[in-house]
Amino acid sequence: MNSSIIEILTPRYELAWYPWAVQYFFLIAISYSALLLSLPGTIGRGQLAQRWQPMARLALLITLTCTLVAPVALLADLHQPMRFWHFYTNATPTSWMSIGSILLPLYLISVLAYVWLAWRPALQKARAGSGFRPSIAKVLSFGDWQASRAILTTVALVATLFAFGIMLYTGAEIAIIKARPLWHTNWLPIMFVTTGMVAAAGLVILLNRWMSPEREGREDINRQGLKVILIAMLISALVATAWFVSGFSGHSDSVAAALQSIQANSDWRLSAIWALVAGVTLFVLAGLALKAGNQARSVLNWAWIVGLLALHVGWAFRWMVLMEVQTVAKNTAGYYQLVVELGSYGLMGIIGTFGLWLAALLLIDLFIPWQGKAQLEAQHG
Amino acid sequence: MDFARRAILGQIAKLTAGAALVPLASITMSSSAVASPINSQPARREGDASKRYGMLIDLRQCIGCQACTVSCHIENEAPLGNFRTIVSQYEVSNESTGDFATMMLPRLCNQCENPPCVPVCPVQATFQRKDGIVVVDNEACVGCAYCVQACPYDARFINKKTQTADKCTFCAHRLEANLLPACVESCVGGARIIGDMRDPSSQISKMIAQHRSELMVLKPEQGTLPQVYYLGMDERFLSRPQAEPALWDVRDMDGKEIGYEFLDH
Repeated sequence: MNSSIIEILTPRYELAWYPWAVQYFFLIAISYSALLLSLPGTIGRGQLAQRWQPMARLALLITLTCTLVAPVALLADLHQPMRFWHFYTNATPTSWMSIGSILLPLYLISVLAYVWLAWRPALQKARAGSGFRPSIAKVLSFGDWQASRAILTTVALVATLFAFGIMLYTGAEIAIIKARPLWHTNWLPIMFVTTGMVAAAGLVILLNRWMSPEREGREDINRQGLKVILIAMLISALVATAWFVSGFSGHSDSVAAALQSIQANSDWRLSAIWALVAGVTLFVLAGLALKAGNQARSVLNWAWIVGLLALHVGWAFRWMVLMEVQTVAKNTAGYYQLVVELGSYGLMGIIGTFGLWLAALLLIDLFIPWQGKAQLEAQHG
Repeated sequence: MDFARRAILGQIAKLTAGAALVPLASITMSSSAVASPINSQPARREGDASKRYGMLIDLRQCIGCQACTVSCHIENEAPLGNFRTIVSQYEVSNESTGDFATMMLPRLCNQCENPPCVPVCPVQATFQRKDGIVVVDNEACVGCAYCVQACPYDARFINKKTQTADKCTFCAHRLEANLLPACVESCVGGARIIGDMRDPSSQISKMIAQHRSELMVLKPEQGTLPQVYYLGMDERFLSRPQAEPALWDVRDMDGKEIGYEFLDH
């Protein structure tokens, strides 16, 4: 018997998580990925350190700014942000979000300590002279004592440990939600990390265009960033394939749910095609840029476009996962409407987060010698 | 691609088959708190441990009048557009004969024996009482909406007035005053039966015993062990039904969508 069903009355609920959540997941993923990118050049030794040092400068700047701004977006996603202290008075070991609320400040403190230690030699040198910048350097360098390399390495490793904690909790928090089959897959946390790496390398390449101090190092940074994008995209493609194949085994409803939505909803179809086109374009463009770079041709003038596209892929993945999936009604027919309002729960929230990040970036660029030796020489010379 | 879809959708059908399996065994199960690994149920608190409230909805008696929806709305002061309970109404047509039938499906919180909304709460604001009712302490709730995501029944929402999570509580405040929940009180057909399932002489216990093999719960494959039982249920409606939404976009005379009142509240 074939029957067709019409649902006559359906309530239309608003989405419970705002675009703030996308901003948090985006910034925190860039933060931990940039932290990893900064490690070889900061705590590595010999040739390795030398090769990755220019990249590490930008990566440190990125990890610090994103780590500072991400929690603001997270706080804004709470409907009762002033009650955030309940997280600490009512800590709940059964909840991944509660575990995250413990990890996040520890991660933030360890990143602050790590970046501060890495920048401290430059800060100490910048104390010479009078004026605003030297006085800031005097305050921030906290005296003449020298931090040993072992301290820097230890703090970097502690920050890395917490970074893995952030990767784990942000992924698990979403993946355990059985009620949303699209989220309920073990491949999702891995995908968050690989696309986060794509976005972080993209941001490195983008900032490299305008903020890198040394002309000669910039082509190297681009090549390294492009390589990271290529590898991370390749792993993302493998993860996506594995996820798709897992749908056939019957262990996960995630794939079936995705196909169902793509079949039933034109927005989803468009998003799926967009994701595929953007991903393939990014991979091809990054490959072409890397090839040109390896042939000693300058890609400085256009590699930043690849960087922007990489940022788009990282952001759009999170938008799709966190926002579009919420439009799938769990009980009723059809889809809830995803309305991005102009106010702080919508567009202003998205723009505001990026604005805050830009402000943090510019303030650091103005007052802190994050570029190290090169910047100091330029200022004094 | 089409083959792939069919193969995968077939897997889902297998999962939802055997849906009539009803988690009644859980009623007698005592819930003891074990050391809490992540995402396991925390200890229950408050409420009368000698009781286990449940609801039986006799769909044969439901006429879809929405009296429950309205009385709940008034009793619990939910903002416009949000519902602690609502009756889904479906029009089912037989494509070969052209016959029509209507299906009324009252929905509310299932007060699950294994509620997925509880362990995710990062501040222990939502918890299950010893009598099985899942409640929210909206003085503690931070409004993170994690529980809203975790509920497979869309039974929770963020209340725009309080900016905290809101849900059906079986009208716990009325039960404590020996009153029936608003929806049960106002039900024209007497379709909603609430009671203590640990008391063998309660009406709900008797009806469960009488109709045990016919009872069904929503989305049994989720493992939530819902404690709202449906009598006279059609298996096609256990999970999100494959249905076309109607009265979804309400349009005015010019074909322009009318703004929803609740958007501004």
